[in-house]
Amino acid sequence: MGGRESTLVLLDKNGIRCDGRKIDEPRKIMIKAGVLKNADGSAYIEFGDNKIIAGVFGPRDVHPKHLSNTDTGILRCRYHMSPFSVTERKNPAPSRREIEISKVIKEALLPSLMLEKFPRTVVDVFIEVLQADGGSRCAAIDAASVALADAGIPMRDMVCACAAGKVADTIVLDVNNEEDQAGQADMPVGYMPNLNKVTLLQLDGVLTRDEYKKCIDTAIGGCKLVYQIQKKALTDKFFENGGNQ
Amino acid sequence: MTSSVLDQLKRKEIVDLLDQGKRIDGRAFDQSRPLSIETGVIPKANGSARVRLGDTEIVTGIKIQPDKPFPDLGDKGIFICTAEILPLAHPDAEPGPPGEDVIELARVVDRGIRESGMIDMSKLVLEKDKSVIGIFADNSVVDHDGNLFDACSYATTAAILSCKIPKWEIKNAVPVLVEDHESSPPITTIPVSITMGRIGEHILVDPNAEEWECIDARITITTNSDGNICALQKGGKNGFTVDQLSKCADIAISAATKIRERLKQTKG
Amino acid sequence: MQDDKKRYVIPGDVITTGPYRPDQNVTLDGNRIIATVIGISEISDDGVRVIPLTGMYIPKSSDLVIGKVVSHTSLSWEVDINSCYVGILPAADVFGRDFSAHADELTSKLDKGDLIAARIVNFDRTRDPLITIADRELGKIESGTLIKISPSKVPRLIGKRGSMIQTVEMATHAVITIGQNGLIVVSCDDSNGLLKAIKAIRMIEEEAHMANLTDKVKEMLESR
Repeated sequence: MGGRESTLVLLDKNGIRCDGRKIDEPRKIMIKAGVLKNADGSAYIEFGDNKIIAGVFGPRDVHPKHLSNTDTGILRCRYHMSPFSVTERKNPAPSRREIEISKVIKEALLPSLMLEKFPRTVVDVFIEVLQADGGSRCAAIDAASVALADAGIPMRDMVCACAAGKVADTIVLDVNNEEDQAGQADMPVGYMPNLNKVTLLQLDGVLTRDEYKKCIDTAIGGCKLVYQIQKKALTDKFFENGGNQ
Repeated sequence: MTSSVLDQLKRKEIVDLLDQGKRIDGRAFDQSRPLSIETGVIPKANGSARVRLGDTEIVTGIKIQPDKPFPDLGDKGIFICTAEILPLAHPDAEPGPPGEDVIELARVVDRGIRESGMIDMSKLVLEKDKSVIGIFADNSVVDHDGNLFDACSYATTAAILSCKIPKWEIKNAVPVLVEDHESSPPITTIPVSITMGRIGEHILVDPNAEEWECIDARITITTNSDGNICALQKGGKNGFTVDQLSKCADIAISAATKIRERLKQTKG
Repeated sequence: MQDDKKRYVIPGDVITTGPYRPDQNVTLDGNRIIATVIGISEISDDGVRVIPLTGMYIPKSSDLVIGKVVSHTSLSWEVDINSCYVGILPAADVFGRDFSAHADELTSKLDKGDLIAARIVNFDRTRDPLITIADRELGKIESGTLIKISPSKVPRLIGKRGSMIQTVEMATHAVITIGQNGLIVVSCDDSNGLLKAIKAIRMIEEEAHMANLTDKVKEMLESR
């Protein structure tokens, strides 16, 4: 990936990162709920330069029938990148990376859904990355959770996600694409804010024990910021006057 | 989740209204749904467009990169068009490799643009027989409410018109990117596709999803800026009389002019 | 009583803590009562619940629903009732107890795409819901316009003891059949009345949670 020569300053002496942000500052985030006509629930997110759309169908009949579970509904999740979403055009067929990310996103969302209320059904979550920019799996989860709420699927909590990382020996919030490639660690975290549970956790890179703790705390701080934006997306769509007095 | 089987009341309503000279959404028979075109929606791609035709929505991205030419076409660049109906676009859309409907869609959109000669492919050569510029247009259907043929065609055309082609130089037999030297694509004409469906004796332009369920046959006619026909595709379970085909051509040529004006405005 | 007994909530919001009985669309986490859907929370002496603004129809016994026939086996029709579960209409319900799978052809009575007004006979989540059309007011719907609204808005459309829908019917001379599953059939001899009735239904759906809705609807119906 990449390969261009650049004199990139990841963190200057004033604590400013390569894209002008401070170390605890996330990129610009915008979420809109209910953007599709056909899907039961949907959401669109811009997270930095990530542009991602999530659509939810369900609960609905499971096909093929042998996948259905008599005790509970099941969750299926597909994370897919459009061919034009990355610098070098990507083959439309799902890559191993997309398949793995589909699985971890599914497992990040599953604890929040009360699927036991709908035995023998499936909830399908479809995520399409239209433009990718580092941290897309977190942005995908943020959109998917809003889409699930939009669809009216009963949930124990929302799921919000944000990554933290280590860049120029410093723990920073929300690693962008250049920082991901040139930095020392990238840790995406998915979190349920009211139940205080981590449901997505991965790491690329090397961290000491103290850095590991600090990174998780930093990421959760980012998750809570995203949660407010998710709330706003749903409030804007469903509640007049912007919510409670 | 309501199944997409069209209910009998709606089917009857559509046909009854047609016999009274009306369409279910109030349009004229030769009128397309409201069309909105936005370009540059994927800044990282070389070109892009987001088109809404009624409630059908397409996002198309153009990626341009150096490639090997086709064996007997060493003096021409490459143009490839694909399409995917995303599973979030419709309850019946399934993830997986494209079925025959989607492949037909991609090939019809491709032919409309290619056969019109829209892009002067001879201007996309870096080194004859060795290295040419490849233009990939990928259509992602985001919301499916009928007539993907026209929606994808307009999105691809708008994305091409507004794209920027990077500059490559051959150094040591390898194409090397020259930064900040982008240029507009070599455009010769603007193709516009008009898809019509036949319900009984009635010919309807741009059928929406409900009308699509009732059509006996459909035809997509693509014309270029001279008003000449450069691509045809007939589909559906039934046929057209020769008179109906004549009528379709007249409608396509006339309906295309307004849309061509809209597409012209997207030129980068 | 006070306004803070009603609040807008999204899933995960803590409505209250304490010894309340959790009712619809909430869940317990320790002693916290948490909303599970987007809606309006209500705390009363009976318990804590959320009135949903989203969500699909979950079948309930004796509900009147509008369904669309999507397929059939030799013994029953499968009916889309706008839910995650498909309604099953046994052939015997229509042909009578003398029904014979060999002799009687199901499509002669009901075919793919036909709309029916039906009642849910019984439903538990382990099996698809059973429905019936064996009643005077039930059966195949031959004419009218089908509209779909969010099932969560149906109670508002009906109104207290049917007051809201009666207001619309009387003002427009339309006959409106409301399915609890959000599907509605509107019949009217007068095309203006039909359009007005549909407009009223859409207005009620959109502004279901607003305070002075009844007055607004009456005003719209009286205007030209």
